[in-house]
Amino acid sequence: MKKYSSVVFILFFLIGIVPILSSFTNTDSLEQFTSIKFPYKKAGLTERQAAAHLLSRFTFGATPNQIDEVVKLGLEKWFEQQIDAKLPDDSLNVALAPYETLNLNNKQLINTYLNSGQLINLAIKEGVVPKDSALHFEYKNHKTQIDSFMNERGLKQQQELVRQLIGQKIIRAASTNNQLQEVLTSFWYNHFNVDVTKDNATNYVICYEKDVIRPNALGKFEDLLIATAKSPAMLTYLDNFRSVASMNNQGPEAAAKILKDLYEQQQQMRAKGDTGVKYKELGNRINYLKNQQGLNENYAREIMELHTLGVDGGYTQTDVTNAAKVLTGWTIFPMNDNQGLQGIQKMIDKVGIEKLTQQGYVHDGDFMFAINKHDQTEKVVLGNTFPVKGGVDEGKKLINMLAHHNSTAHFICKKLAVRFVSDNPSKELIEKMATTFLKQDGDIKQVLTTMVTSPEFWCKNSLREKIKSPFELTISTVRALNATINQPYQLFNWVNRMGEKMYHYQAPTGFPDKAQYWINTGSLLNRMNFGLALASQKIPGITFNLAALNNHHEPESMEAALTTYCKLLLPERDVKETVKRLLPLINDPQLDSKIAAAGKSVKNEPEHPAMSNDMMMTMMDSGVKNDMKGKEATKRNDTNNNKQASLNGTVAINNNMLSQVAGIIIGSPEFQRR
Amino acid sequence: MSTRRGFIKSGALALFATGIGGIPTFIARAANSGKIISPYKKSKKLVCIFQRGAMDGLMAVTPFTDDNLKLARPNLFMTAAKGVSNSPLIDLDGRFGLHPTMKAFEPLFREKRLGIVHAVGSPNNTRSHFDAQDYMEAGTPFNKGTSSGWLNRAVGLLGHDGATPFQAVSISSSLPKSFYGDNPSLAISNLQDFTIQMKGNPMASNMAAKSFEELYDQTSSNLLSRTGKESFDAVKMLQKADTKHYKPANGAVYPDTQLGNSLKQIAQLIKMDVGLEVAFTECGGWDTHYNQGTEAGAFARNVGDLSNCINAFWTDISSYQDEVTLMTMTEFGRTVKQNGTGGTDHGRGSCLFVLGNDVNGGIVHGNMPLLVKENLEDGRDVPVTTDFRSVFSEVADSHLKINNDKVLFPDWDGKKIGVMKG
Repeated sequence: MKKYSSVVFILFFLIGIVPILSSFTNTDSLEQFTSIKFPYKKAGLTERQAAAHLLSRFTFGATPNQIDEVVKLGLEKWFEQQIDAKLPDDSLNVALAPYETLNLNNKQLINTYLNSGQLINLAIKEGVVPKDSALHFEYKNHKTQIDSFMNERGLKQQQELVRQLIGQKIIRAASTNNQLQEVLTSFWYNHFNVDVTKDNATNYVICYEKDVIRPNALGKFEDLLIATAKSPAMLTYLDNFRSVASMNNQGPEAAAKILKDLYEQQQQMRAKGDTGVKYKELGNRINYLKNQQGLNENYAREIMELHTLGVDGGYTQTDVTNAAKVLTGWTIFPMNDNQGLQGIQKMIDKVGIEKLTQQGYVHDGDFMFAINKHDQTEKVVLGNTFPVKGGVDEGKKLINMLAHHNSTAHFICKKLAVRFVSDNPSKELIEKMATTFLKQDGDIKQVLTTMVTSPEFWCKNSLREKIKSPFELTISTVRALNATINQPYQLFNWVNRMGEKMYHYQAPTGFPDKAQYWINTGSLLNRMNFGLALASQKIPGITFNLAALNNHHEPESMEAALTTYCKLLLPERDVKETVKRLLPLINDPQLDSKIAAAGKSVKNEPEHPAMSNDMMMTMMDSGVKNDMKGKEATKRNDTNNNKQASLNGTVAINNNMLSQVAGIIIGSPEFQRR
Repeated sequence: MSTRRGFIKSGALALFATGIGGIPTFIARAANSGKIISPYKKSKKLVCIFQRGAMDGLMAVTPFTDDNLKLARPNLFMTAAKGVSNSPLIDLDGRFGLHPTMKAFEPLFREKRLGIVHAVGSPNNTRSHFDAQDYMEAGTPFNKGTSSGWLNRAVGLLGHDGATPFQAVSISSSLPKSFYGDNPSLAISNLQDFTIQMKGNPMASNMAAKSFEELYDQTSSNLLSRTGKESFDAVKMLQKADTKHYKPANGAVYPDTQLGNSLKQIAQLIKMDVGLEVAFTECGGWDTHYNQGTEAGAFARNVGDLSNCINAFWTDISSYQDEVTLMTMTEFGRTVKQNGTGGTDHGRGSCLFVLGNDVNGGIVHGNMPLLVKENLEDGRDVPVTTDFRSVFSEVADSHLKINNDKVLFPDWDGKKIGVMKG
């Protein structure tokens, strides 16, 4: 007994010393984590099971053999690398090279990618399309002129920008080595949601994700919060860019009274038929005053309710109104060459940037603090007084206060625990994480480390507890199959059909992160259909080699195939019951010939996206004309099948069978869980 | 009265193709127990539309004689007076005017089939969309922990066992909170997609469907196994239906919008006699903080769409009108004053519409006070003078013949307001 325990002691000592030794080779930034230890053994998990769990939480799904790699590297070491997010991503960078929007800033994007309305207006302004044409706002009537005008000017369609936004996300999620950073980028994007279809926000979303969210995803929460607050995407989406102090700080009543009087004058003049110069001048004055505008509470409410404190975080309607006043004047530096820029530039030229800065005006990248639109009065928010004439600093003070609030720590940590542990994380875990959040200045790395070193993270009832979102399901499938993505938009169509139209969630809450939201009758059938379509290579532009996954070993029987592919696609899961249930169905001796025969009798049609807009996207995706698409895709599939068949020296029937098995596994309940 | 056995024998089984896994489990179960079910055909149906984002009730149905409103909304106020604008409000009763784009509602109102309730809302004064929607859908304005939705409880109270999987259907991409709970309900975003399909390979589809049915039956996740079962039962019932070539009746033309497509599918289900009793769908775009517009613009488009979609639906189901009541709802209203950006912020009371032959229509129900500051809630919003539960419970009680308000709306024993006849 004594002997035995001393062996155990030495063993533990050795295990303990390995990370310490390895820490000497680490870079400085990793040092603080070198002592971390995952308590999975206490929870009764093997190292491989723990690695599988780790991958299910901090990646978009394990790739083939990734469990082996993580075990070899060491679980803690792998996590440290992920949290550091500095792994080279050469092949990803090559894959993203054609995505030119990723190299442009907001100003370039705004002035290059135009929607149809903007294009036609510009074309009219430039005399390319006759102004008096009754049909001038119909893009299709002037397609040729506008297309050559676009070529000449280097202008592009806005929908191409949206297509790139979606494409780059799918490719990045599927193949980046810094998986945790990308998982968190999705998490924070959803937390600070911006709907890409909101008027005028569309073109800002590329840089919003790339420059605002991703670089801060593993940083300090306050940095992330302030970066979103100053971003043109958020300023537009939640209307703060237009929220200004009421006319000359007179208060809304006085402002409304002035406007009302002017309206009455206007009505009287119209009634008298007096519509001359004076009437027009009056109209201009009304329009000017309307543009002076006033308070908009939208952002002030959501920054408290959704971004920081949470709805029960202890604020009132008065706090919302006053926070809105604090944030008046937080707006976007004009960057559209076709509107607005001249005005502000004129002011800068006239007054001089130094003098403006002295007056409290701020220009920082795309952000602008317009002191003349700022409410200068005293305000009280959450019991804190913001004295008169606080300028831009009072907004920063508000954000600092919100970022470090006790309610925020709990709200954010709960949301993280829901994403990474389970739909109903324990209070104890949230408390531990919130303590770290408050102690470590909202350091997201530290909060995650607290989480992953807690027993709650590893306990058996958090394993497989989460239901994959449609995006997670899609990417985890692509990763598990080692698939090549040539047409990411095709995957987007499926993600959309399964209920997660990424970047298009209208409400500022973002998608709810709970199983009940994702799983319903309609979406579940689409998940199964997705598995079947992908596995049978009927989703154009997504290719993979099932035989290669098994090192080209041909399974000896259907039972062997089922067991092998269950293990490949669902590593470290108990698949006995799945195999038992499926075997009688699959073991029909005539089944392969039936399926093959039925498959041959009908043309191998690719999936057609549902909407005409998507059709256009597909067309752009594949780089072939629409009428060619079907044939091309079919040909590609056939070639692929043949290639596969010749590679493993079997006939196409077995390929069909393998596809069928893989499709059923992907659509199975076990594969929906992580 | 037919029994389930009778029902099955009487040829209704023909509805269910035997291809995918045979007879739906609920039919088999009922056939064994020999329980009596009510025939599907003449059951009453309640259709609910949730307008997410908080509709500005003051602009949809404007108390146009109130000068306070005119003062509070210099850019948004519209009048019913002729000659002032090209498209004045539709004067309903000398006091309230319907938004000009909602002209499809006017005949329904004049025929007394359409009732309006104004200054309706929740007693909980939250101005958070998400809390307010949750409270309204759960039917418990002060209890966040309620795990079931009011429409799900309504299904449980229908008083007849014998549900088909289509008893409660939401045409939406996710299951709404209103349908959470113990009673089975479906979420379908598109009837046409509602099947297991491998393009061009029916044999493989069939085999896959059987496999999935086996797997979802055995999974340890309750959510997945239950949803799986409901899905397969419903798929079997729909197999014979031609969902692709639906033609609306009576020349009804649905707008090609999300709401139009949703209501069209609900009409389809009603006419298929698959046992639908509670239907739900939703529409968005009501959160008009900015540039709300007046006779044209974002709000006008939305209310125009709402009324045109509902009107198309009503026309389409004309031979079923006696069985159907439709009700709209929204989480709260918007500020009496316009905000600084040509829109309105989150407020309190809004209005809702109830349509049906049992409705006490042609009336703007409820109590809209004069909009002077001292009458407003927190000095800024339309006060909630009618609790949404008094309308929801009256509609459900009267139309679906449910009268257990204690279960439907716990902690509620308020008065009905007479929005339904009798």
